[in-house]
Amino acid sequence: MTAVAQARIRKRVLPSPVTGQEVVLAGVIAALWAALAVGTPAFLTAGSVQPLLVATAPVALVGVGMTIVIITGGIDVSVGGAIMVCSVLTAKALVGADVGLGAAVLLSVAAGGVLGLVNGVLIAYGRVHAIIITFGTANLFMFLGLRIFGSGTVNGIPGTLAFFGRGPDGRTLGIPHAFLITLLITAAAWWWLRHTAGGRHFFAIGGDAQAARLAGVRVQRRVLLAYVLTGLLVGLASCFVIAQGTSTLDQSVGSGKELAVIAAVVIGGTSIMGGRGSVLGTLLGALLVQTVVSGVTQLGWRSQLSDLFVGIFIIVAVGADLLRARARRNR
Amino acid sequence: MSRAVRLLLTQRIALLAVLLVVVVVTFFINDMGGYLTAPYDFDYMSASLISAVPLAMLGLAEMLVILSGRGGIDLSVGAIVSLAGMGFGFAYGEWGWPLWPAILATAGLGALLGAVNGFLVSYIGFPALIATLATFYAYKSLAIVVNDQQPISTAPVQELFTLSKSVELPLFGRYVPDVPLGIFTFLLPTVVAVWLLLARTGYGRRLYAIGTNDVAARWAGIPVRDTRFKAYVYAGLISGLVAVVTVGQFASARPDAGVSGNGMALPAITIAVLGGVAITGGIGRVAGVVLATLLIVWLNAGILLAFVGNEGSQYQLLALGAVLIFAALLNGLTNRKYGGTQ
Repeated sequence: MTAVAQARIRKRVLPSPVTGQEVVLAGVIAALWAALAVGTPAFLTAGSVQPLLVATAPVALVGVGMTIVIITGGIDVSVGGAIMVCSVLTAKALVGADVGLGAAVLLSVAAGGVLGLVNGVLIAYGRVHAIIITFGTANLFMFLGLRIFGSGTVNGIPGTLAFFGRGPDGRTLGIPHAFLITLLITAAAWWWLRHTAGGRHFFAIGGDAQAARLAGVRVQRRVLLAYVLTGLLVGLASCFVIAQGTSTLDQSVGSGKELAVIAAVVIGGTSIMGGRGSVLGTLLGALLVQTVVSGVTQLGWRSQLSDLFVGIFIIVAVGADLLRARARRNR
Repeated sequence: MSRAVRLLLTQRIALLAVLLVVVVVTFFINDMGGYLTAPYDFDYMSASLISAVPLAMLGLAEMLVILSGRGGIDLSVGAIVSLAGMGFGFAYGEWGWPLWPAILATAGLGALLGAVNGFLVSYIGFPALIATLATFYAYKSLAIVVNDQQPISTAPVQELFTLSKSVELPLFGRYVPDVPLGIFTFLLPTVVAVWLLLARTGYGRRLYAIGTNDVAARWAGIPVRDTRFKAYVYAGLISGLVAVVTVGQFASARPDAGVSGNGMALPAITIAVLGGVAITGGIGRVAGVVLATLLIVWLNAGILLAFVGNEGSQYQLLALGAVLIFAALLNGLTNRKYGGTQ
């Protein structure tokens, strides 16, 4: 077989690097930014865009893990509870033991990994649908988080994590570190999912777990890995959450984040049925959601209206995807 | 012996009944030993049933959509409770409608909101998780915006609190504890109606059929889309009724009634799954959902007495999560060993 033919086959096997959904999303975000720039002159300034990018980071970062989980045909609705556990644990360590930046990140990521491991073991080896297990562990994690909180809030958190925050310490050349890290991890995950056998296995499992198993994919280990990875990313994202907040952490931390992350993933074009999806789309989805949130506030509208637009965007994004799939079938 | 184990594992209702007895007896023993902060007796158990009303009704609503199969689930029931509750607040509290038309209109509003879900899922083909996630956001937002974040608690709405008071039963009422009124006005009629719908009508048989096998049902000439659509409408209708109950309980139409904190959808799905409703559709019974509700309500009520301060509400989360995972793993085991739960 000639090199040209091999290259052609490789081209056919791999999906296109950027899906139609992502192009449309990028276009929609660009149009929104343009409209907002016209509507409120303050929008396209560093003082407005930088907080937007910082606020996008945690959702997009957890979204990378959630994308992989959903590609395998699963789902994880416990990430909100997991964010609560990781952030309160880390905040307590920052206040009580005055740990450094590295130790705090390590602690948070390790805690997230353990929580992800619990999910992964139960789902991969318990043979129960992921949504039921993670509904259960969501309650367990919230219990754990509230117990660590004790009775009130965590006060007087030092600025150790300012490296990830909104302030001037959190930026290099004007780019927020939190967003930069998210971007790098997204890029790495994009490469891993698209160009390595290990990454392609996730798609195989989501397409047909039985067929994947017969083809030699170690399905249970791969599924376990997907949830552990999500847990690790939750740990890192929790550091971002603490850094973006004030010096006080209250018990509502993480609440509702699981739905925000899932919204970003499905707006990004990942199929909830599994087997199809991309982390690039998830990043764009998170950016779109955050643009809507920040745009609604800057236009002086009621901030809760942003949820209405998020709902509409989910319907439009997934609806467009459904129509395209229908067109493909009829061709 | 092995027969008894088999019965417990394969008959979800038997398992739930045993668990229920274990929970109640455990708390009675604790009570006698003086370990609880207040007496756990029949009066207390009866009074705690007030929280069973919305939980069981929403559990039944989730059961209907989960039964319909193809990943059926409704994340938006809590948001429907919020939005329909605001509608009820306006109609009854602000516009001075009489009570019955206001309740009917609220149920109708709930059914309409459910119909949006059903249309998206059944006719357009959205995955249920996504469609109801989107409408969850939309309804939640509308409920908050519609009255500028303000609750409606005018005089007529406040007087509705009588809906949730306890009453003495007629005839033999002196010998048994007083029971919350909501049980008779809302919960029992809903339970009976859903049971009749599922067990005694053609619609119920069609719903089980499309949940068990979508394709086979279509080839058998069943109007699959219409049947699935109606499941979401009924779920919305029940959520609308829950909205009335919730407004009565709070004595106020709160814009975040169904979505604050953990929301109402997640506990409702938990109750349905615990009650033996298979998440893949086609399997589930009304009695299971009712028993699961009683189990969780009486467990929670006991936990509240076993701890001081807000620790009790935290341990309720632990109990709910542990029971759900236990039941789910048991389902997995049963499927492998005996070929399924009934």
